[in-house]
Amino acid sequence: MSASGFVRLSSAVFLVTIGIMSQMATVQAVPAFARKYQTSCQTCHIVFPKLNAFGEAFRLRGYRMPGETEELVKQPPVSLGAPAYKKLWPNAIWPGEISSAVPLAVNIKMADVNTSSLNGDGTVTHVNNDLQFPQEVNLFGAGTLGEHVSYLAEVTFGENPDSSVSVELEHARLQFDSPFGPEDLFHFRIGKFAPNVVDGFQEMWLSTDAGIDSLFAYNPIGLNGGTGLAGDVSPMPISIPKLVRGVEGYGIIKHRALWVAGLANGIGPGPDGRFDGNNAKDVYARFDYKIGGMGLDGDTGGKPVPEKNWRDNSLRIGVFAYRGDGGGIDFPVTSEDGTTQNLQDLHFVRTGVYASAFYQDLNVFGAYLHGRDSLQLFANGGPMGAVFEPDYKAWFTQADYLVYPWLQGTVRYEMLTPGDRSAPTLKTGVFNLSALIRANVKAMVEYQRDLRQGANHSLNGLVRFAF
Amino acid sequence: MKRFSFAGGALLFAAALLLSNHATVTAAGTAITGTVKVTGSASNADAVVYIQNATGTFPAAKAMTMDQSKMQFVPHVLPVPAGATVRFLNQDPTAHNVFSPDNEKFNLGTWPQGQTKDYAFTKCAKFPCVYTLLCRVHPEMEGYIVVLQNPFFAVSGKDGHYTIDGVPPGSYTLAVWHAKAKAPGKPVTVQAGAPVALDFVLAK
Repeated sequence: MSASGFVRLSSAVFLVTIGIMSQMATVQAVPAFARKYQTSCQTCHIVFPKLNAFGEAFRLRGYRMPGETEELVKQPPVSLGAPAYKKLWPNAIWPGEISSAVPLAVNIKMADVNTSSLNGDGTVTHVNNDLQFPQEVNLFGAGTLGEHVSYLAEVTFGENPDSSVSVELEHARLQFDSPFGPEDLFHFRIGKFAPNVVDGFQEMWLSTDAGIDSLFAYNPIGLNGGTGLAGDVSPMPISIPKLVRGVEGYGIIKHRALWVAGLANGIGPGPDGRFDGNNAKDVYARFDYKIGGMGLDGDTGGKPVPEKNWRDNSLRIGVFAYRGDGGGIDFPVTSEDGTTQNLQDLHFVRTGVYASAFYQDLNVFGAYLHGRDSLQLFANGGPMGAVFEPDYKAWFTQADYLVYPWLQGTVRYEMLTPGDRSAPTLKTGVFNLSALIRANVKAMVEYQRDLRQGANHSLNGLVRFAF
Repeated sequence: MKRFSFAGGALLFAAALLLSNHATVTAAGTAITGTVKVTGSASNADAVVYIQNATGTFPAAKAMTMDQSKMQFVPHVLPVPAGATVRFLNQDPTAHNVFSPDNEKFNLGTWPQGQTKDYAFTKCAKFPCVYTLLCRVHPEMEGYIVVLQNPFFAVSGKDGHYTIDGVPPGSYTLAVWHAKAKAPGKPVTVQAGAPVALDFVLAK
């Protein structure tokens, strides 16, 4: 394929990605907690869903406030067993709790979509004011089940132009919080969830409607390595997964350090209705450290915290790694002569670093990701040719500035150097202005541009509200 | 505010005190009052404030009642003097059970509405003896019997106030028990006719 062909392909993928990823961007602002504690969204969020330091501590602690006491919980839970039953275990069921009110919350997003896209034949398609009202509806259930158990479930409904509805189970996880050892040193989760290997710069800090595609939507599969972003393909190759099905442990060490280790299905879906594409499991890990500001568990060291609760002058730096196994999973690829062959990603490794700095009303953060894949062609049930190992690089940097407590501006720059070095580097710019009309109602204007091919851009107006 | 009065009032109390070799009190005794603050709790109720060790002999404790009403133990916390018999009454249309996994452990069985069962708390070796009351039929039900060495105690109300009436003059340690929080005891000197106020702040 010629270089111009790659341009066209990646441009199309860019726009496909805008269409797909933005519609399924996960949002985790859970009004069920506002009801439980009878508190404002701003207790935990800056401009939702972006968390402040207190909200991050609340999340990491399994949806429990730092130093939480009984009087902070305004909706007392329903006991499923008196605490004294612990003394009787295993001759009695370990006691637990459920919320006294059904902990459901709804998040609705409406979008006025305007896009310009460069087609393969050189023409440009414009879409003006496509009123996607609504674009998606998220239904959440989240809370705690007694002292050491918490959960999150999220179902996203998207309405399609043909009036059909797409449904995605985005999260369904059960978590055991500090079941033993020092508080917050060990948490364990099982289910489908956003892995903590990326949580932080993928969701929790996300201020834009568009996802960080350079990190999460890259397709490493190609005859000479990956050439750009993945579309809606199956099985879905992995750059860094936004969601995993698996188990994970994480914890906070001495208020400041976070450790994460997880095990996940990996590339899927597989044949015969399986979620996993093969029997091997992927593993991931992360370690980071926070200097200054509030501790990751909400500890303040007895020092006063800023009156403006979005401020948290601090620096957080970390490293992460993900290793996957795609052996036995075929990705069809078409060579220049038109023949289709199968490529397998025998194993792949992603390593990265990231940092986030808060100073007053400014938050600058970013991540760098390096990926290496071991690719091999397969034909007639056997390997063909040698294994080759292309590598790719992706990074982004983003600045969020809070002009007023209700108004935030965001600028992000993303860059992706595909594994196939003959393919062009992808560069994307995103500008977002978010205004909280109310604590739970947000209006956004967002401009996204393909910085390499200016004909590809979008300008969307969005309203999101949660209740 | 909940307060404890015993044995038919001051006359009987005075008679009991006169029989004691160690008693040095007037017939009326003195009141100790104060408040209990349970840090982090929505309620300051159900803290038992008691004199840790009082000398003298005390009248036999009368029978007391712990109800099971609306699927709750009522009162939630019942302090009793050593040797007291507690009558457990089921007021609900559903069957209830009463058992305790603490101390000598007991299980009184399960019985229907309107019936009672008695249990004498005579085996406490080291005061206070706390018995968690549970119901096998309704695992969320929980109550407490706190067995104390003497009859000088009170249970705090929702506002935290407590009053212990009729305390003989002397020097004591005033202690407090709560199911979820604690605080160290405090020394107190009681003089005849001079009410004493003492507050507690409890923390987990």
